[in-house]
Amino acid sequence: MSLLLALLLAAADDGASLFPPEFTLNGPAARQTLLLEARRGDLHTGAIRDAVAFTSSDPKVVRVEGSLAVPVGNGKATITATYPGGSATSTVVVVDMDKPFEHSFRNHVQPILARFGCSSGACHGAAAGKSGFKLSLRGYDDEGDYATMTRHALGRRVNLEDPGRSLLLLKPTGAVPHKGGVRFGTDSREYAVLSEWIAAGAPGPRKEDPRIDHLSIVPPHVVLTPGAEQQILVRAHFSDGSVRDATPWAKYTGSDSSVAVPDEEGRIKVTGNGEGSITAWYLSKIAVATVTVPYANIPAPETFTQASRRNFIDDLTLEKLKELHLPPSPAAGDSEFLRRAFLDTIGVLPTADETRSFLKDAGADKRDRVIDALLARPEFVDYWTHRWGDLLLVSSKKLPAPAMWAYHAWIRNQVAANTPWDRFARQVVTARGGTIENGAGSFFVLQDDPTEMAETASQAFLGMSIQCARCHNHPMEKWTNDQYYAFANLFARVRAKSGTRAGDTIIFTAPDGELIQPLTNRPRAPQPLDGTAISLDDPRDRREALADWLVSPENPYFSRAIVNRVWANFLGRGLVEAVDDMRKTNPASNDRLLGALAAHLAERKFDLKALMRTILQSETYQRSSQPLPGNATEKRFYSHYYPRRVMAEVALDALSQVTGAPTEFKQAAERGPAGFAYPLGWRALQLPDTNIDSYFLKSFGRPDRIITCECERTAAPSMSQALHIANGDTLNQKLKAQGNRIGKLLGDGRDDAAIVDEAYLAALCRPPSAEEKSKLVALLADAKDNRREAVEDLFWGILSSKEFLFNH
Amino acid sequence: MLSFSSKGACLRCDDGVSRRDFLQVGALAGLGLTLPGLLRAQELAKPKDDKNCILIFNLGAPSQLDLFDPKPAAPAEIRGPFRTIKTVSPDIELTELLPMHATIADKFSLVRSCHHTAAAVHDTGHQMMQTGRLFTGGVNTPHVGSALQFLRGSRNELPGHVILPEPMGPTGGNMPHGQDAGFLGKSYDPFELNADPSKKDFKVPDLLPPKEIGEARLDRRRKMRDAVDQTVRDFEASENASLMDQNFKTAFTLMTSTRAREAFDLTKESDRMRERYGMSRFGQCCLLARRLIEAGVRFVTVNTFITVFDEITWDIHGSKPFTSIQGMKDIVAPMYDQGYSALIEDLSQRGLLDKTLVCNLAEFGRTPRINPAGGRDHWPQCWTVYFAGGGVKGGRVVGRSDDIGAYPAERPVNPSEVVATIYKALGVDIETHLPGPAARPYPVVDFGVSPIKELF
Repeated sequence: MSLLLALLLAAADDGASLFPPEFTLNGPAARQTLLLEARRGDLHTGAIRDAVAFTSSDPKVVRVEGSLAVPVGNGKATITATYPGGSATSTVVVVDMDKPFEHSFRNHVQPILARFGCSSGACHGAAAGKSGFKLSLRGYDDEGDYATMTRHALGRRVNLEDPGRSLLLLKPTGAVPHKGGVRFGTDSREYAVLSEWIAAGAPGPRKEDPRIDHLSIVPPHVVLTPGAEQQILVRAHFSDGSVRDATPWAKYTGSDSSVAVPDEEGRIKVTGNGEGSITAWYLSKIAVATVTVPYANIPAPETFTQASRRNFIDDLTLEKLKELHLPPSPAAGDSEFLRRAFLDTIGVLPTADETRSFLKDAGADKRDRVIDALLARPEFVDYWTHRWGDLLLVSSKKLPAPAMWAYHAWIRNQVAANTPWDRFARQVVTARGGTIENGAGSFFVLQDDPTEMAETASQAFLGMSIQCARCHNHPMEKWTNDQYYAFANLFARVRAKSGTRAGDTIIFTAPDGELIQPLTNRPRAPQPLDGTAISLDDPRDRREALADWLVSPENPYFSRAIVNRVWANFLGRGLVEAVDDMRKTNPASNDRLLGALAAHLAERKFDLKALMRTILQSETYQRSSQPLPGNATEKRFYSHYYPRRVMAEVALDALSQVTGAPTEFKQAAERGPAGFAYPLGWRALQLPDTNIDSYFLKSFGRPDRIITCECERTAAPSMSQALHIANGDTLNQKLKAQGNRIGKLLGDGRDDAAIVDEAYLAALCRPPSAEEKSKLVALLADAKDNRREAVEDLFWGILSSKEFLFNH
Repeated sequence: MLSFSSKGACLRCDDGVSRRDFLQVGALAGLGLTLPGLLRAQELAKPKDDKNCILIFNLGAPSQLDLFDPKPAAPAEIRGPFRTIKTVSPDIELTELLPMHATIADKFSLVRSCHHTAAAVHDTGHQMMQTGRLFTGGVNTPHVGSALQFLRGSRNELPGHVILPEPMGPTGGNMPHGQDAGFLGKSYDPFELNADPSKKDFKVPDLLPPKEIGEARLDRRRKMRDAVDQTVRDFEASENASLMDQNFKTAFTLMTSTRAREAFDLTKESDRMRERYGMSRFGQCCLLARRLIEAGVRFVTVNTFITVFDEITWDIHGSKPFTSIQGMKDIVAPMYDQGYSALIEDLSQRGLLDKTLVCNLAEFGRTPRINPAGGRDHWPQCWTVYFAGGGVKGGRVVGRSDDIGAYPAERPVNPSEVVATIYKALGVDIETHLPGPAARPYPVVDFGVSPIKELF
């Protein structure tokens, strides 16, 4: 604790800055919140609030009330903040004090209605409004809201003759009964803005109004300690170059309430260790501040300087761990590494022989050699075809069997050829022709209207959910309703018709057809989310424009999305979690690493195998799952490998492999050839379809492939899984199957110790410890009467263990 | 009142015990003296009531206008195609889709003014109606049945909270449904049946060991498993790993329990009884719920449907893959009417109704105006939920909707008040605190929320 205190004092010694360092106050209504921040180099270490005195170099230009700068007359002045450790200044220019000033509906009135919850989803912003008064959600529709406010309700909401009698003022101040309660007082700044706006004749939104361009936030990144408080400063930058203090009217939310929680005024309180983010929302723009709260015990510096590093992943992971005071766990042992790399890369366990030869191998590069071998194995194709099958919803529940197989085969061919991910995505979103000839076309059978196509394409390839913006501006992202309809209109001309072959559908592009935006009742010019619009009468297939934008280097979302998915596959947790919930308000646990991985992939021309190799080779991936006392509680920053239950298909295949008894798979009856049985020996990971009866796969969390969402798959252990392993027919049948591994081991005449050895190597990729071996051999020896049953029970004991069911 | 707040806070700051430690302690709850056990003991020390609850969740969301809140005077495009009927309660009218409800209307009371203000997607309503809150800031609040499991534990070797026939599946919003223990940790998740009790060969999947695995072999298997797992400690800190251990322990208790075997055995019921409930999945789930309550299970959640896609449900948009008004009339309503009325009569005849709250909830209502596809869309502004038993007086109507069933006209009720009502009926003080994220105490419902007292 004293060390921490010393560190804090040292930080304060490092200096402080007054924010904003320079600013302009436009006209008499402008204000600016001032914030004195302690810093260590570029790093913010918290606000200084005690015994701070503000002085203005020219009170005729600006004065300070509390920590608010108030303009007095045109001119330039310096504000000085004096605190016990020193002082800091900022310069202010005051302009337009002599010009007539008028509040803008778009830029002054709307933010107040949003900030005080008037236009929130819980009040008048609800789809149906409230008590007959309906506003657009958080004010995304200025024209509509202005009409509602000034023309409806017999004009009582805004009373130009007697502004004080406007409902817009009477209701929120509680002067007349208001179901939403008192929102602000008559002496508040909000009341002043609204009443002055009405008194000025309640001018409506104008074409020439400056538009919001972006927000800036101070501090963008701050390091704090538990219990600390920090004021956030939000500045709104407009198209005319003006900047306004949005601090009092922004809406604040926290991403992780166990780290930091904001209040309505933008003051955050630190609740625990780790890293969290605070989002400020204002006029449909957002800005995010990162709050880092290092853990209490500071590891020795050499913990990080001497940690081994293989590539940039390790540099960036260690940098983050150091910042958070989290020591990295040591490297995993050979057995641990081998099993992990097999399960994560190809979804199968190494055989006993493979394990033996790897453990014996004395070569310094043996891990690299295994990684290369895994990336080249046929099972690699099975595993990744299955993963992308989840992503693209390959299933005969919705597709005729021949189309389902063609879709599956298409993905398989891409994985086998290691098709670069940008080409993979382009082929999907621009697919045309018969779905049996070109399996990728089924994307447009499964998603059969432009909004669904847009939403699923975004979810799959951008890791982003945009459906909120279908009805209103996305409250947690920058996407607006306009952007949504411009984006979805890229798919408006995709059509499908039946082909001549059974199960075939022809995907083609019609020469016309538009998606109408309900808000305006007009189509919007097709436009990729962040890209440039194309004209409505452009004759080309609009999806080409989409694909160009999707995979272009200027699109930051595409590469980050796929990198995050691949990373999560290997490290057990996405840098952004969940992997398909990427949005500005849900930042990565290590954003620099995510950016570096994305750049790496782009540099490697979207070669996923190259990316996987880099991840697999990193020390970060190869860390032990054994936590250290100083890092056991964290699960976001990769201080150790996070154990996780093996995914359903892999677990089932592993049971088959270890027992030597394959699983029989039958097509479910709903659709397709009912009762069709896959050849014996077909592995779960090779199944093209999820429409297959399997209680094991279902209870272990196989996704249904109904919607593109990582949430469809679950890795959580459950009672049904335990009961199924204990009593179900999956493992029990395999244990007693004729001709299985148990039969062979007994037939070979091996003794109990040798059987235990073999079972351990096959299932756990390691030899048993002496203690384990002696216990198990003793238990086997007790069962003189029926040795076969005893060995079955040995296998049951191993195959139901955590060590087997978890990847660690 | 439980004094969790001070203890919860101390846990973290004074002893340096983290939430994870707390959860791990929690994970051992079945084994004896633990912190939650201690709290539970406090809770039980002053039992106000130890009642049961059957929560019927009408996933998909029934139309208030076509079922529970008819508007015979409204224009046809609002009123819908169904006739209004009288019931045994002078205060309650229903539509002709619920003739059996009409005969027991003295046993239940309707709240016709339920509403919520979140997005009109199924998932948000599921969260709020089952946990009392909308999930924000990464805080997933627990299902009321799981909170009860945390506070009171199980009465016997049967799980305290069972979900029939299986948990809710995807309903389009990609959000959690509020059907598990949330921040309390997975050890308080409900037991999932994962089977259809109306199927001929119905049994709880894997409840019993195969015949050839007798007691001796079970014992040996357990010892083998312990020998393998005991020496490996390298990922003990993983919450999921310790949960898996706990699951195996509970599984062993459950599979050797005669009580559990009998409770789930529907063949112990006469054919007449089974047919009275209806041979539908919903009907047999209601019957099974009654058996489980008799056997000591405290909370049973019955999901009327599992998903809104490609299933005939309450989600009557009128267009595919959803259901039409006709589909509701022909298939959904008769099955539902029969199962529910049988459950209430049966509980009442067995003297269990006073001790068992039965609540029928849904995530929202349906649009007052029939849409161009001939269906009704999502409408969270007003709908009907209802309650029977557990101290609730029957035959009443609380709240009123406006003339077209669009908005509450009197006594609006929000989801947290519904959940507070369940806690009240179960005898849980609504000021009881649960250990939230970062060991912060979380009241079971937000401060200021009250139960719907007019029901009692």
